[in-house]
Amino acid sequence: METISIQQTGSTPQVLFDPLTSTLCLLGESYPENSFDFYTPVVSWLKSALQELSVLTLDITITYMNSSSTKCILDLLDIMEEAYSRGVATSIIWRYDRENPRSYVLAEEFLEEVTFPFEIEVLTK
Amino acid sequence: MDLFELRNEFDKSGIMMCFNGPFSHSIIEETGKAMRNHLVAENISQSAVLDVFAVYIELAQNVRNYLTVREITPSEAMSSIIAIARKGAGYAISSGNIVLNADGEALCSRVHDVNSMTPEERKRNYRELLRRDAVPGALGAGLGFLEIAKRSSGKMECSVRPVDDTYAFITLTAFI
Repeated sequence: METISIQQTGSTPQVLFDPLTSTLCLLGESYPENSFDFYTPVVSWLKSALQELSVLTLDITITYMNSSSTKCILDLLDIMEEAYSRGVATSIIWRYDRENPRSYVLAEEFLEEVTFPFEIEVLTK
Repeated sequence: MDLFELRNEFDKSGIMMCFNGPFSHSIIEETGKAMRNHLVAENISQSAVLDVFAVYIELAQNVRNYLTVREITPSEAMSSIIAIARKGAGYAISSGNIVLNADGEALCSRVHDVNSMTPEERKRNYRELLRRDAVPGALGAGLGFLEIAKRSSGKMECSVRPVDDTYAFITLTAFI
């Protein structure tokens, strides 16, 4: 299976898959010039990865995302939800900064959209 | 060029930072960073800094996406403008750009719709738009004004000024 690795920039998060823990990490801020262009390879990778994997955790630490990124993140969640319904053990860990309560509210909104395990944790610095 | 006079105008309006010119992603990003650093130094809460920054990003990206989608060339668009000003105990963030005459009206009516929604209605509308299939060619999800309203302390303001038979100039202001 191919892995995925995209370096963090000022306006795009790091995207990195760790095959040892079967975890896809998103880390940083997300307000790309074109969110759909940025997330298209991530969406494609996730789709094909979930055909092969039996477990996948999405570990998200995004301190700020613009509105078009939220739509792209929901696309990722939908793909995970579909895999979960086929028996793939998908789950999310959403890490938020206590100083940034909106990230917690956003996590709660995403949580309402899915049925697979979704943990919201305080970011430890 | 009387920059002294221009600077006085900025000061009178409480403008802390302003960019006027063609928007590029790197300009949006760099101006945003500078603004954030400036706000952090003002000793306001981290979440307030992020609210101002988020509203700035939505407004600036809206302008850029709009001009791109409508294929308005830089020479037609001339300069677009974004400014952050002190307003009472908070901040006002404004964007101004050229729009097609018909779009100016449509954008203002969308702003008024969002302004008149309760937080519950906004949340429902946000969810509907999130779930709607992406519009082909669109660069955003149409969520920008809802995102701005979520982070704002008052209603958004919108004004449109005619420029010529084709274009108008739209100004949008949000308050934090």
